[in-house]
Amino acid sequence: MRKQERLRPKGVKFMMNPAVLFASGATDLLAARCQMALTLGFHIVLACFGVGMPVLMLLAEWRWLRTADEGWRTLAQRWSKVFAVLFAVGAVSGTVLSFELGLLWPAFMAKFGSVFGLSFTLEGVAFFLEGIFVGIYLYGWDRLSPKAHWLAGLPIAVSGVASAWFVVTVNSWMNAPQGFRLEEGAVVDVYPLQAMLNPATGAQTTHMIVAAYMVTGFMVATVHAVALLRGGPRRHHGRAMALGLALAAPLAPLQLVVGDWAARVVAATQPVKLAAMEGQFRTQRRAPLRIGGLPDAERHVTQYAIEVPGALSWLAYGDVNAEVRGLDAFPSGDQPPTAIVHVAFQVMVLAGTLLLTAAALLGWMRWRRGQWPSGRAALLGISFCGPLAVIALESGWVVTEVGRQPWIVHGLLRTADAVTAAPGVRSVLAVTLTIYAMLLIGTVVALRLLARVPLPEVAHGD
Amino acid sequence: MAIEMWVLATVVLGLTLYAVLGGADFGAGVWEFNTGLRASDRQRALVYRAIGPVWEANHVWLIFVIVVMFTAFPTAFAGISRALWLPLLLALAGIVFRGAAYAFHTHSPGAPRQQAAWNALFALASTMTPFFLGASVGAVAKGKLGVDAQGGFDGDYLTGWVSWLSLFTGFFTTGMCAYLAAVYLAREAQGDAELAPLWRRRALAVGVLTGVFAVAGLGIVAVDAPDLGLELRRRGWPLVALSLVAGFLSLAAVWRRRLRMASFGASTTVSTVIWGWMAAQYPYLLPPSISIQSAKAPDGVLRALLWVAVIGSLLIAPALAWLLYLFKVSRTKPDMRTPVSAVPSKTTSPRGG
Repeated sequence: MRKQERLRPKGVKFMMNPAVLFASGATDLLAARCQMALTLGFHIVLACFGVGMPVLMLLAEWRWLRTADEGWRTLAQRWSKVFAVLFAVGAVSGTVLSFELGLLWPAFMAKFGSVFGLSFTLEGVAFFLEGIFVGIYLYGWDRLSPKAHWLAGLPIAVSGVASAWFVVTVNSWMNAPQGFRLEEGAVVDVYPLQAMLNPATGAQTTHMIVAAYMVTGFMVATVHAVALLRGGPRRHHGRAMALGLALAAPLAPLQLVVGDWAARVVAATQPVKLAAMEGQFRTQRRAPLRIGGLPDAERHVTQYAIEVPGALSWLAYGDVNAEVRGLDAFPSGDQPPTAIVHVAFQVMVLAGTLLLTAAALLGWMRWRRGQWPSGRAALLGISFCGPLAVIALESGWVVTEVGRQPWIVHGLLRTADAVTAAPGVRSVLAVTLTIYAMLLIGTVVALRLLARVPLPEVAHGD
Repeated sequence: MAIEMWVLATVVLGLTLYAVLGGADFGAGVWEFNTGLRASDRQRALVYRAIGPVWEANHVWLIFVIVVMFTAFPTAFAGISRALWLPLLLALAGIVFRGAAYAFHTHSPGAPRQQAAWNALFALASTMTPFFLGASVGAVAKGKLGVDAQGGFDGDYLTGWVSWLSLFTGFFTTGMCAYLAAVYLAREAQGDAELAPLWRRRALAVGVLTGVFAVAGLGIVAVDAPDLGLELRRRGWPLVALSLVAGFLSLAAVWRRRLRMASFGASTTVSTVIWGWMAAQYPYLLPPSISIQSAKAPDGVLRALLWVAVIGSLLIAPALAWLLYLFKVSRTKPDMRTPVSAVPSKTTSPRGG
């Protein structure tokens, strides 16, 4: 009501009128969702490095311990500096998320906090160990024996994976909630372990952890491939790129299998999300797999797609004649925004396919020549792999999060009912955008400064 | 003791450790802020060196408190999140800037101007975070937030938390952090002809100030939050008294250069303030509407939570002990520590150029 009274014709005035800015309703829900998407989308990239970088650091340091080649130590130390920056920014952006759960979605936390909270507590323990050993590892280069230092790095890698696993179990629970009963709207008979080990847990956690290693490995390979293209020291950057590729490339085919598993879990637990992912408006047997295409929500068709007959039925249920429920099988109020979900899914699949192709080509050359290719064309190709992995990661999260809408807990609590009634969510979003832009610029500047530090002599030479 | 009390004890323990350990990390930045960023490079090097290896681990206590709160007492968590919307957002902004600025300053070899910018941001953020977290505590303790038994809130999201008491607790918390930092840093600087007397002087100054402020605070409580004042007199008084005595002894120990003793006294002072507050508002988590009983999660959840806490602490305690031994205990032995004098004492930044 208030909003209509105060509407102004000019956009600028509209923006500057605090009464309008603070108006509640659907736009605040959208602002809160954007806020969550922005902060999660930012954090997830850093979280990937938190999982993957320790492995690379430890591999490089291991080579130093085995070969006494100082170049490997240099690499491990330089990576550990990068990791220190990324871990710190990841720790604070993760803290933002834990506050936001309550600040933006208080009804969600009040109702279900006790059901999935154990996962977060376990994650807290893992993160604690990670924080402690990060301190020991980063500041302990000169205070510990080389072997003890390497061993102090191991818990970082282990607890990084554990953190990721525990956190993703919460998201999988939001997709496939179980482990409790509702009695007059209140949660009773809670079994936290059952909640944690829900039908979506296995596929989603594996998908994410593999993705984290792929993002780290390919991003590292990209950074060092670009350095090689710019004529940086070949030995140092060549080694670094090789380690990154060795981590990421073998996982690309595995991710295909895990992704297929994840999609079949979605088919079983959230058929409406699958329908949106595939742009499947009508319920049908022999449902086709659509490659590309743009869903038209008004006319209920997905246009411009290449259709492979029966392939969706087969992929989802193992039978080309299986019936796939389309969006028409669900009330319109329960359907996610189909276009976003379908396009995001296509982007993820495309990026994954490109990465798989790159990994296959690079792997083949590695196998034939005994070393990763270092020609200009190959380096140029590698320099696209990291961004592609990040694109796949982000669009994958768009699929799972937007695809769950309008629910925050699938089938049980609507996002609109969970959002805070606090004023100024849009202003907070604007401020957050500014802060995160500064954070991004700061991180990039800090990393570029690190990259510019000249290598010590020992790491030079071809 | 009922199971929810054990869980609450875990929360209070986490909060105490966050205040005592994490608070000192913020306090170091408070000093940067209050001295107008004019610290010499040697002074700054001591600060950054002292908090470097531990601040991430110290920060996790806050995360721990949050996750245990929303698991074990979800409606209380929702009520707090709603009613403290603005101060928590501001504290959060402080947390983000403090951590990021610290990491950029320490790990990245920026030019002096960049370093100065990171440091200024670090100092400002380190000061605003304890202020708003402290103010949040004051707002809860006052018991006038207008949160209902289910965690619903119909007060003012922007100003509902503001009161004389919350402003007092905001400043008081910041002062406590500064005192903790000064005492700990005086201890870490032992043997250094310039830095040890500096931090001792600072500890004495802020200690006296915060002590006077604390006594004045009891008056503010009596006037602005009579219900809390009544319970403090009825139930919290031994802890209040203990806090005052510990604070006094800690100051005396700083005076006499017994810095181990002073650190112990300072952390006891801070801990007993928190426990006194808890005792005064027992059995409420969010007075006057949400009690421990009314907010608690089902017993199965609480039991699982306690198991995680026990097993987790078996893993964490030795690791944490190792961390603190490596960078705090063995460092204060003169032969083990890197001399601060190794840092150039001119105005050029140690990492500049």
